[in-house]
Amino acid sequence: MSRIALLLVILLSSTVARAELLIKVTEGRVDAVPIAVVPFAGSQGAPEDVSAIVAADLHRSGQFKPLPAEDMLSRPSKQSEVIYRDFRVLGMEYIVAGTMKALESGGYEISYALYDVSSEVKLLEETYRPPVSQLRDVAHAISDRIYEQLTGIPGAFSTKILYVTHNRGAANPYQLQYADADGHRVTTILRSKEPIMSPAWSPDGRKVTYVSFEDRGLPAIYVHELATTQREKVSSFKGINGAPDWSPDGQKLALTLSRDGNPEIYVLDITTKALTRLTNHYGIDTEPRWLPDGENLVFTSSRSGGPQIYKLNINDKSVRRVSFQGAYNARPDVTPDGRYLVYVHRRNGSFNVGVQDLQRGTFNIVTRTDMDESPSVAPNGSMVIYGTQDRGTGVLEAVSIDGRVKVELPSKEGEVREPAWSPFL
Amino acid sequence: MRSFLNPLFALMLAAALAACSSTPTEEDTSATDTAEQTEVAPVTPVEPTAPAKPDTSSIPMTADNFYNHPSNYDGTTNSKVIYFAFDSNTVPAAAFETLRAHATHLKNNANAKVRLEGHADERGTREYNVALSERRSKAVEKFLRVQGVSASQIEVVSYGEEKPAAFGHSEMDWAKNRRVELNYTAGRP
Repeated sequence: MSRIALLLVILLSSTVARAELLIKVTEGRVDAVPIAVVPFAGSQGAPEDVSAIVAADLHRSGQFKPLPAEDMLSRPSKQSEVIYRDFRVLGMEYIVAGTMKALESGGYEISYALYDVSSEVKLLEETYRPPVSQLRDVAHAISDRIYEQLTGIPGAFSTKILYVTHNRGAANPYQLQYADADGHRVTTILRSKEPIMSPAWSPDGRKVTYVSFEDRGLPAIYVHELATTQREKVSSFKGINGAPDWSPDGQKLALTLSRDGNPEIYVLDITTKALTRLTNHYGIDTEPRWLPDGENLVFTSSRSGGPQIYKLNINDKSVRRVSFQGAYNARPDVTPDGRYLVYVHRRNGSFNVGVQDLQRGTFNIVTRTDMDESPSVAPNGSMVIYGTQDRGTGVLEAVSIDGRVKVELPSKEGEVREPAWSPFL
Repeated sequence: MRSFLNPLFALMLAAALAACSSTPTEEDTSATDTAEQTEVAPVTPVEPTAPAKPDTSSIPMTADNFYNHPSNYDGTTNSKVIYFAFDSNTVPAAAFETLRAHATHLKNNANAKVRLEGHADERGTREYNVALSERRSKAVEKFLRVQGVSASQIEVVSYGEEKPAAFGHSEMDWAKNRRVELNYTAGRP
């Protein structure tokens, strides 16, 4: 944590639509890898600046430090034009160079390559021919390939973020939206006069589930297919219907119901609607999250007094306490490899995101804001996105699992909260 | 932790009320009119020796005593919001008379239905706060049931921190948001 350097604030992209989220990297690694993403030849006048999107993606990971285009000594677009010395003197370790060419058909041909400055070899070369509507998708796909080539970890730039907005005074103050992981291309899924809560993705990324109070102000859980906008109300029992989380096999939801008197964890078979109660305690049991094995859940329970994180085996229903530091630990999420738990931890009246290493037993607080909530892990396990407050307004931020990289996503209107990072799409 | 002080605080407040009850002020009369009309026999225009309503304006309202402050409850069904201390689901003593008035109305009007909408302040996680706010609604439900109200007349909804009454982020805003609202869906008083 002490070795974090403050980086310059970088605002993404020139043409940001009104409702889109702005993203700025507030803390990056001091050892971020210097990389030159040379503006692609022929990108002038194109509807999207693909090389600029790639540079912004890599920057946003906190692990790369792209060279500003104006500082480049030469601007190669293909291998024969690369003068390694021009980049070596600037301390660059890698070069991305390529071309964008408008096609007769209306789309574009995008070719690029990744070069290693020290060994002077080409590491990667690809060509895409997308329609204009998919230029941003191609840019993120390129970022994913470069990131994986250089870190060994799949990139998560082609993913989406699902979140709830609250705009007091609007006709429909509560909205459920999703956007690209860089905040662009916002799609509204649901508008409501009543609260929308706890959105979560299906494992294939085609559906979402959430709690909506739209029907007479009472909570119900919905399963909503994004492509068709068809949805089904799957749970509307008396009392709480809350905290749905999709099972890794896509067949079930874990959820919280208080129909038997107080909040308990249940599993609902989405197809058959068979309901299995898993907990039985007079305390509060809520906020279940599946572990990747599909056999265990983690959840929040007040059975020892204040909220703590517990692990629950869905077969034998055995429960074991997992969190032990402090008096308030709640709303867990899990990394895709099952190694780390991230959850909300209260310390001195401040709510922060903590990361618990289940292998080594260590626990670290990785945020330094206040009122942090709803942490959600990227599908490659690299970052955690969460809700927090900036001058009294709900905003999203992201932090790397090791706490060394921090990214802000300030909202332009109203509150943004409860982010859920999509699976790989 | 503050919740441990509640009963003690209620006593202190009661003592304070008794002490200052002999000097009613202007502000205070309008709030007490209805109560006195129902409680004092109309035929005897005698000075009441023990006013039903003390001067509450002299007790400073703070975020810590807000939930139990007499000025939040007029003892009739006009009061429709019950407040709670931090991390507590104990119905405040100052709200008892108000809740008994609601219970009386519900018992006298079998068609009346009330929805108890529980809320939490913004601190802590959202679904856990939904659960906490349900406990507040259920505490009010229990109070009404003990007074003899039929379970079929009561519906409980828990909103957690999703529908704040005050939108700031101060201790006083939080005090205003830790609440149960009584909303009649039929047979409004």
